[in-house]
Amino acid sequence: MLIIVTILVLLMIVSAIAALIFKDLISAVIAACIVSLIAAVLFYFLQAPDVAMAEAAIGAALVTGIFVIAVKRTKRFEE
Amino acid sequence: MRKLFVILLLLIIAGGITLSLKEIPFGIPKTKIGDHFINKGVEETGSVNIVTSVVVGYRGFDTLGEITVLFAATIGLGAVIGTFRKNSVNREVEAASLIVYTGCRFLFPVILLVGTYIFIHGHLTPGGGFQGGAIIASAFLLMYLGCSNKRIKENLSKTVEMIGGLTFIAVGIIGLAIGQDFLFNFLPKGEPAELLSAGIIPIVYIAIGLKVGSELAGIIDNLIQKS
Amino acid sequence: MTELIFIAVISIGMILCIIRMVKGPTAADRAIAMDTATTVSVALLVLLGYVFNRYIYLDVALVYSIISFVGLIAIARYLEKGI
Repeated sequence: MLIIVTILVLLMIVSAIAALIFKDLISAVIAACIVSLIAAVLFYFLQAPDVAMAEAAIGAALVTGIFVIAVKRTKRFEE
Repeated sequence: MRKLFVILLLLIIAGGITLSLKEIPFGIPKTKIGDHFINKGVEETGSVNIVTSVVVGYRGFDTLGEITVLFAATIGLGAVIGTFRKNSVNREVEAASLIVYTGCRFLFPVILLVGTYIFIHGHLTPGGGFQGGAIIASAFLLMYLGCSNKRIKENLSKTVEMIGGLTFIAVGIIGLAIGQDFLFNFLPKGEPAELLSAGIIPIVYIAIGLKVGSELAGIIDNLIQKS
Repeated sequence: MTELIFIAVISIGMILCIIRMVKGPTAADRAIAMDTATTVSVALLVLLGYVFNRYIYLDVALVYSIISFVGLIAIARYLEKGI
């Protein structure tokens, strides 16, 4: 059980660094969505289903949708 | 040069937090009130979900504060964006293909049903008002993305939000009017693990679910149509 | 013993999805990687519900599998210029 928690935490760090480095803002939004997904799974590991459900319901659809609307009104590639 | 300084500062802060949190043992109960909630929560409030009994039963006044903060955020967004002119011309938005259109129309009542199930059974299964409201707002976001000619009626969403907020406050004031505290549990508690049990908790969670759902749907509507 | 096999298989699935997300040249590749990662995560949530012996936790997997569809539709509709 400790092995899969370690692997998930390392994948979360890799995704978060990727969300910083990408120049294409849509790819950064996708990386942020994956960070939220791994956070929900880690909350589930700590036996907190209410918090995991709140993170899933808000982080997967609403935050991604609002970021996509924001990228549409500005430009897609930074710099 | 600045990046190096920032990384060094972050490492120092991370080291400081790790050293100060190392003394606290992980997973051992540290307070006495947690034991009281776990041992006596079911018989005092009647709901089987202990998190729900804390959020609505023992600490119900803080939930009123949370709803006020969400309401203030919605008002702020409406004040800034709502004054822009509506997009009268749909500038070159491609209509969705037949598969996406049919899929979104089929899934919209299913997602509404899942959201309603989550906040009605808030005192039995994990979930509650805030989670159910966010799922309902996601259903409306799906309609905006898939079918580009259907919109929310503004008066209906404002009426639903008003009814949700007033119900919560009315339930609290009834508790004051009969001589006890605000948000006192005045309905009979019933059997645990039944649908009609736990006093006022289902009513409060239905009001919260409807209010949060229509608020977030209103935010999505403001962002897509105006600005 | 069977739990070790499940953990190994799901770990390999998640690592391959994240490799595709980091490598993919276009944004559409990364969107496909995100969709596959959510499906593998739902399988992981259901499996953990069996390991912890609490079947009441399966509501989280139900909610997540429906909501991930909405997030994917948002990104895909942007990429075809339809939002």
